[in-house]
Amino acid sequence: MSLISRKVRRAATAVGAVSLLLSAAACSNNNSSDAHTLTMWTNVSPGPGLDYLNNTIKTFESQHSGYTIKLKTMADTDLDGALQTAMQGGASTAPDIYLQRGGGKLKAQVQAGQVADISGSLSAQAKQDIVASSYGPEQVDGKTYAVPVAIQPGGFFYSKNLFKQAGITSVPTTVAQLEAADAKLKGKGITPIAVGAKDGWPAAHWYYWFALRDCSQGVLNSTAQSLKFTDACWTKAGDDLKAFIATNPWEKGYIGIGQQGAGSSAALMANHKASMELMGGWDPGVIAGLTPNKKPLPDLSFFPMVQVPGGKGSPTATMGGVDAYSCSKWAPSVCTDFLNLLATTAQQTAYSKAFQTVPANTQSQKTVTDPLLKAETASVAKAPYVSFWLDSLYGQNVGTALNTSVVNLFTGKGTVADIISTVNAAGAKG
Amino acid sequence: MSESQVALTQESLDGARGAGAGTHVPAPVSRKARRPRASWRERLEITLLAGPAIVVFVAFVIVPVVMAVYYGFYRWTGDGPPTDWVGLQNYKLIFQDPVFFSAVKHSFAIVGLSLVIQGPLAVGLALLLNRKIRGRSIIRVLVFAPWVVSEVVAGMGWNEMLQADGALNHMLTGLHIFGTVSIDWIGDSHVAIWTLMMVLTWKYLGFAIILMMAGLQNIPEELFEAARVDGASYWQAQRYVTVPLLGPTIRIWAFLSIIGSLQLFDLVWVIWGSTSSQVAGTSTMAMYMRDNGLGSGTWGYGSAVAVVLFGISLVVAVAYQRFVLRRDLSGAITEGA
Repeated sequence: MSLISRKVRRAATAVGAVSLLLSAAACSNNNSSDAHTLTMWTNVSPGPGLDYLNNTIKTFESQHSGYTIKLKTMADTDLDGALQTAMQGGASTAPDIYLQRGGGKLKAQVQAGQVADISGSLSAQAKQDIVASSYGPEQVDGKTYAVPVAIQPGGFFYSKNLFKQAGITSVPTTVAQLEAADAKLKGKGITPIAVGAKDGWPAAHWYYWFALRDCSQGVLNSTAQSLKFTDACWTKAGDDLKAFIATNPWEKGYIGIGQQGAGSSAALMANHKASMELMGGWDPGVIAGLTPNKKPLPDLSFFPMVQVPGGKGSPTATMGGVDAYSCSKWAPSVCTDFLNLLATTAQQTAYSKAFQTVPANTQSQKTVTDPLLKAETASVAKAPYVSFWLDSLYGQNVGTALNTSVVNLFTGKGTVADIISTVNAAGAKG
Repeated sequence: MSESQVALTQESLDGARGAGAGTHVPAPVSRKARRPRASWRERLEITLLAGPAIVVFVAFVIVPVVMAVYYGFYRWTGDGPPTDWVGLQNYKLIFQDPVFFSAVKHSFAIVGLSLVIQGPLAVGLALLLNRKIRGRSIIRVLVFAPWVVSEVVAGMGWNEMLQADGALNHMLTGLHIFGTVSIDWIGDSHVAIWTLMMVLTWKYLGFAIILMMAGLQNIPEELFEAARVDGASYWQAQRYVTVPLLGPTIRIWAFLSIIGSLQLFDLVWVIWGSTSSQVAGTSTMAMYMRDNGLGSGTWGYGSAVAVVLFGISLVVAVAYQRFVLRRDLSGAITEGA
């Protein structure tokens, strides 16, 4: 063997040895937290929201000498997977404080014994000042597992200028009025409603909203246990949606259009190419990022979901998401002090300003001045109950099944009966 | 020089030496040839050189396959250890789900259409680009460029162009041949699969052409000269010389195309997404697996789907190797089979 090939072989052997050691090291645990260092995982991106969290952590650390919180932020799409894996590792890998999705996700974490029951540790303020219904998605079997920091009610986000252009003087409050408004907008060559059906869930949300009006609160909650759409209200919701779809208020080619990003339904709103979108409380922020000057759309406003004739649900009930934080089962007891800090009026007011959301704290709600947020807050205040997004309430697999069957209804490929049977079948998978 | 050649030469030398010395003793017929024992140094080298690859292969291929089989017997959301044993229930649900069969049907349609569309195009264009024509190098680069572009980037670009008011419809309208073109390339279930085939052909044709051109380079020029002397036309030379001798390349390309089509995910995911692909008829097996595992949080069911897809891909790959590639791989992986 030549000298060169021997050298190459030695080098390759050395590389092999190092790689072997590295691959062995990769299997080791690198969690460095101890009883006085708490880890916090969330999906906040750099900006006012991250500044708020850093300030809150400083406040907590000043109140709890010797304790520190290490904040870890990641993309929203990465958080759930990372969290699920970390929780599987138990105390050595699980974060102490984390963003709680609530509903079906929380239920799974409770069943796996991964999340701390904080029912007995909630402060008086957290019990009194936080909107009671916002605790709904954060409770399982009467026990509380997370503290809500904001409510993101859904509804119609619309362009006041385009409404004015079409001669619409007041916002619709019934389905009939909504259809009349759509006709006026179409008459002026304006797309009435944008829907990001490519993503599935924006179309499915339309079904959820009709279900909110057609089904009683009791049926919505009991279905979370049975995962069966057996009540007649689910079929009525499908029929009502089908009738509304027949008026075709959507943009052209909606099957290929997502909710966010360039060319999305939010982009249509941002560029005044569509006048309304039925969406969650995050929509103004998404639209703001897609306007030509990257600033909030100045004529954007809000009105609640319209009333549906013959429905058994409350005509003013609303639906939305809740931002909340939990402590993992392995977190030290001071973790709940941090959650109680998040519940205070000062913190929730600051959170609302940083994230442009409706505070869950009723005292903080009084401090909201932004007109759009005020309209959203008013819809929550008028609602006898706030339902959690049905896909989050019933679990991811039911939500995914609903997405396709509702989009099929949109395109005429599916029926209302398909929606019911698909959901019932999805429940069996997990 | 290979190890066997070295051994053979040594044996010949020994034989020659023995015969010359008149001391050669023939070995007993039944005695097996014993391989020389590797020294500790060689063993260490083998361990260190192969170790990392084996660790990675076992950790990221073997273990996940075994775990998928294990999880497939549970109803499991991925939170906490799997405890709800359901036996073959997940597999029963898979074979009762019409969405699964749609995805399988689409995947096999893509396999067939890719072969039928890309194969002849690739051979034809390779023959063209193999001739001395003006701008040949530039054309080669242009044809090959899409293959280099990442699937996600290509998908996003096509998604923009294929919108109802996107560039493709505007371009077709601008030709003033078809009037105002407003084709729903993505959403119309009669059009969508052909849209997908158009994008796939654009994306992967360059790779097929490069393979074919490499195959053409290996055909001796003398054969064409002989064909010409025998009076064969250009097309007869292609039919009776080029195509048969290009056979091994075509069969290897077809194998890669089949495997790639069965695994197709990213382009469909970016252009259609989960829901729209099902509605438009472009969903694939890989997308069904993603939707029913990661997308739905039903990890037990998703694992069972992964096992089924593994089985389908394995059967197709082994059958193809056994019945089509056998002649090309004779003496390699098919020996002793």
